[in-house]
Amino acid sequence: MTVVATGVGRAFGGVQALRDASFAARPGEIHALAGENGAGKSTLIKVLCGAIRADTGTVTVEGRIATAFQELSLLPDLTVAENLLLAAPPRGRLGLVRRGRLADEAALVLSRYGATGVDPRSPARDLAVSQKQVVELVRVLAMEPDVVFLDEPTAALAEREVDWLAGHMRRLRDAGACVIFTSHRWREIERLADRVTVFRNGTDVATRERLTEEEAITLMTGRTLGATYPDISGIVPGENALTVSGLTSGRLREVSFELRRGEILGVGGLAGQGQRDLFLTLFGAGKPTAGGLSAGGSRARAVRQPRDAIRAGIAYVPEDRKAEGLLLHLSIRDNVALATLARRSRAGFIRQRAEKAAVSGIAAKLDIGAGRSTAQAAGTLSGGNQQKAVMARWLLTDADVFLLYDVTRGVDAATKHDIYHLIADLARDGKAILFYSSETEEIAGLCHRVLVLREGRIVSELRGPVGDAETIVAASIREPADA
Amino acid sequence: MNRRVAYAVAVAAVVLILGAVLSPGFASWPGLRAVLIVASFTGFVAAGQMLVVLVGGIDLSIPWVLNAAAIVLTTTGLGLADRLPLALALAVGAGLLAGLVNGLGVAWLGVPAVVMTLGMNGVLQGLTLGVSQGLTCGDCGHYAPQPLRDLFAGTVPAALLVWLGAALFVTVLLTLTTFGRRVYATGANPRAAYLSGVGVKGVTVALYTLSGGFAALAGIMLVGYGGQASLGLGDPYLFESIAAVVVGGVSILGGRGDYLGVVAGSLTLVAVTTVLRAQQVPEYGRLMIYGLVILAILFAYGRERAHD
Amino acid sequence: MRDLQDRLGYLVLAATALAYFAVYTTSLGRPPGSFDYLAILNTTMPLVLVALGQSLVVLTGGIDLSVGGVVSLCVAITAATGGAPGWIVAVVLLGALCGLVNGLVVAYGRIAPILTTLATLSVYTGAALWVLPVPGGSIVPEVRAVLSNPNVPTGLGWLALAVAGWWVLRRTRFGLRVYAVGSDETAARAVGVPVERVKATVYALSGLCSAAAAVFYVATTTAGDANAGAPFILTSIASVVVGGVAFTGGRGSAMGAVAGAVALTLVIDVLFFAGIDPLYQSLFQGLFLVVAVLLGTGAALLARRRAA
Repeated sequence: MTVVATGVGRAFGGVQALRDASFAARPGEIHALAGENGAGKSTLIKVLCGAIRADTGTVTVEGRIATAFQELSLLPDLTVAENLLLAAPPRGRLGLVRRGRLADEAALVLSRYGATGVDPRSPARDLAVSQKQVVELVRVLAMEPDVVFLDEPTAALAEREVDWLAGHMRRLRDAGACVIFTSHRWREIERLADRVTVFRNGTDVATRERLTEEEAITLMTGRTLGATYPDISGIVPGENALTVSGLTSGRLREVSFELRRGEILGVGGLAGQGQRDLFLTLFGAGKPTAGGLSAGGSRARAVRQPRDAIRAGIAYVPEDRKAEGLLLHLSIRDNVALATLARRSRAGFIRQRAEKAAVSGIAAKLDIGAGRSTAQAAGTLSGGNQQKAVMARWLLTDADVFLLYDVTRGVDAATKHDIYHLIADLARDGKAILFYSSETEEIAGLCHRVLVLREGRIVSELRGPVGDAETIVAASIREPADA
Repeated sequence: MNRRVAYAVAVAAVVLILGAVLSPGFASWPGLRAVLIVASFTGFVAAGQMLVVLVGGIDLSIPWVLNAAAIVLTTTGLGLADRLPLALALAVGAGLLAGLVNGLGVAWLGVPAVVMTLGMNGVLQGLTLGVSQGLTCGDCGHYAPQPLRDLFAGTVPAALLVWLGAALFVTVLLTLTTFGRRVYATGANPRAAYLSGVGVKGVTVALYTLSGGFAALAGIMLVGYGGQASLGLGDPYLFESIAAVVVGGVSILGGRGDYLGVVAGSLTLVAVTTVLRAQQVPEYGRLMIYGLVILAILFAYGRERAHD
Repeated sequence: MRDLQDRLGYLVLAATALAYFAVYTTSLGRPPGSFDYLAILNTTMPLVLVALGQSLVVLTGGIDLSVGGVVSLCVAITAATGGAPGWIVAVVLLGALCGLVNGLVVAYGRIAPILTTLATLSVYTGAALWVLPVPGGSIVPEVRAVLSNPNVPTGLGWLALAVAGWWVLRRTRFGLRVYAVGSDETAARAVGVPVERVKATVYALSGLCSAAAAVFYVATTTAGDANAGAPFILTSIASVVVGGVAFTGGRGSAMGAVAGAVALTLVIDVLFFAGIDPLYQSLFQGLFLVVAVLLGTGAALLARRRAA
């Protein structure tokens, strides 16, 4: 065995990312790690390659290791060439780096591994996401390692580049290397992996050579698919809550739609087709270059910043809790109260009792932190509870329109279930909901109607509960009729 | 109360007790009063510095904002008690204005805080020196109006009450108001704060403005204490204000800390210097020990952070 | 446009030099001669060296406030010993050691650079006062003749050496790693860069540069002062900023900082020949700093808009 981990545990703040996890892989195999977001795959890879230390358990890895991290490890201010050759730059006499040769040498490396269309002189910061991913992979491949860890290597890649990577993975395996990778796309796991280890809630639940998608989903979620989404068929959308016309911003191109009260409107499509720009712009955090929106039927005052959006009755729950949602070392109470401070204040002073009551009320309703004091730091909460705390902040605003951007990311199954029902309850109360998830399943299961985005445009609108993710995925990749 | 503040208070207490043991006069009220008065100047500038550090900024313009305010005060007050209100208003106004410009530069023009405030420090130094002609101008020789000097007289000098008032103001502002919440939110995570409707830029401008105001207040009090304004009056307070803030347990990365700790930090620093002076330690020794004390406290905080 | 920000230092220097030439010529009726250039060279060398060291630290995302203390200490020792060659070697090594202490505390003690170097600034300044309690001392004439000869441009050779030193450094693996650490510390660690060692080394180099600057300072002024280093703290930071080195680390070049240092020194001459009261000097230096940075950010903004 080249890679062995036994009984590994690792916590971040209050979140137990790995608990008693075990894993083994041998030379000459491609081994996939499957699991939901937050199941512990990335943490396991980091522990295995030595980037972070395990709190408990033992890890042994034999041979030269190379790792492509999910949050890419390219140095943004260095050029592609410098990034690729950082460990072994070309040297002249006196052992000095020959800066003039760097780019040529890097071009050679890139072409040796069949990566085209990347300028070795360009700073890594200026590359497109897919190019960054390719450079990161070439960096790893060029080390000709015995053990390769690839964390979501295909997330930003197009079909052609995935084929390119698959070829290299097979070549490495055939040469006797041990290739370990994670992927969100089951098709890739099926196609590439010799064995699959499934993770759930920070621990391994099974290692198999053959595994169907249904079995995998059952193992990953610990439940069978289908019964989990609340029934929204009884909720009838009412009057218009949000009208978007010709909105152009960032990647977004002339997007128009209407969102009605009581409606859960899904935004589908492959990753990075402008979904994020849409949500941020609607919330006033992105500048539209054309078009606009009106909330509440009448032309609301211009939404230039989030503060305006909140006043216009719009709420935005972000995906990345740590970057955009929480103030980790501030108290739960500070976090939950933040968007509605002014409502419970007199002459700028916070009405402490009112605030305490409001926060405790919503915390109890959402069952945040199992009755823990709201004076504790938000960072001590588990991932699921952190997300609930962010939701609570926005529920207090009593907004009419909720923009929910990948709110279930990195959340445990039980909390996901709670969040689905929370969303359905909001719709039942007449709130309008715009919903995006990186797991298309959720959009299919939860929404009245789905808009499919492709290259910033709405290419398709699917009506009625869609039910299966395949329909949405098909619409995402199908060429539009008029193209 | 967070643990760092508790440490800061404990360190201040230890240094003060040590001083009482080492030098007999120290424990008396006159001895303590002297320490408190000198610490109050550090306390004023550190209040402003803390406010900008709370949002991850820094104010390097404190020395000459302080000095400029001091000179505005004496040259407009002309040593006359009835001109004092006007002089005070002008001095504080000058400080607030300088702070406002700092804040606008940092928040709206995106100039790094170090650069903006360093530039402001230079601008005010040049203006102060130039306009006062190196403090040789006709009105420059005036003493501080008598009421201002009286602040430092008596068993319990009114100057200490001014410090108490400032402490209450900062503490109430930070803990009881919506503004205070927004300050901590901005310092903890500006992006998340912005996406929760906090006017991050406005908060930043307000804090730099307040910092300018506190530097001016320190300048006014120093003039009252010394009787006259001088050039270079503010120079010691640049690094002293930063030191007081971090010894007081405020995180230099923003989002954490409160004024009680900074008061303790100011007392610690001044007590260390006073004790060393009473022990006849020469200046070089005082400087070295001062630096080592700060380093030791930083190490203690560093260890605590590792356990978070 | 991105290049414009990277070349900010050179552009600012070119503009300042042009202004110098124009103002000098109109005020004296003749273009500046070799004597003027030599004087500029000799007065600017200490700042050039300190800025060079400071820029290395800033490139890793840090800051070194202790340059003031290291320069003071090394000036004190050089002046007190008369700067015999053996002592000069010792002084340069001591400077590197002082820097190394900073580096070790920052890298392994994990204390913020600004706080670490604030504390050691006090320690090193204290040590300088201990060595040289009152201004004075001397320098061996031979040393002066070799370093900053008032008649022969020996300084040019040393400047070339400093430039060559950077050129070589940039072409070592260490040079690449400096940028890697400043660009993204976590990612650098993930790809195997020994982050702690790199950090410790840049602070040691900064100390070494400060020591060399101190020797030049004494050679130029022919005497020492234990507070000689204090002005270098802010001017070295200003040079780095004007030189287009990003405060967030990873971007810019030490040569930019060198150009910035020369430009900052030239500005003083420009003001002098333009007949501006020297008392207003810092006012223009402060404006110069802010405007240079605004030009840089303005260029970056334009570039981003064009890219979008």
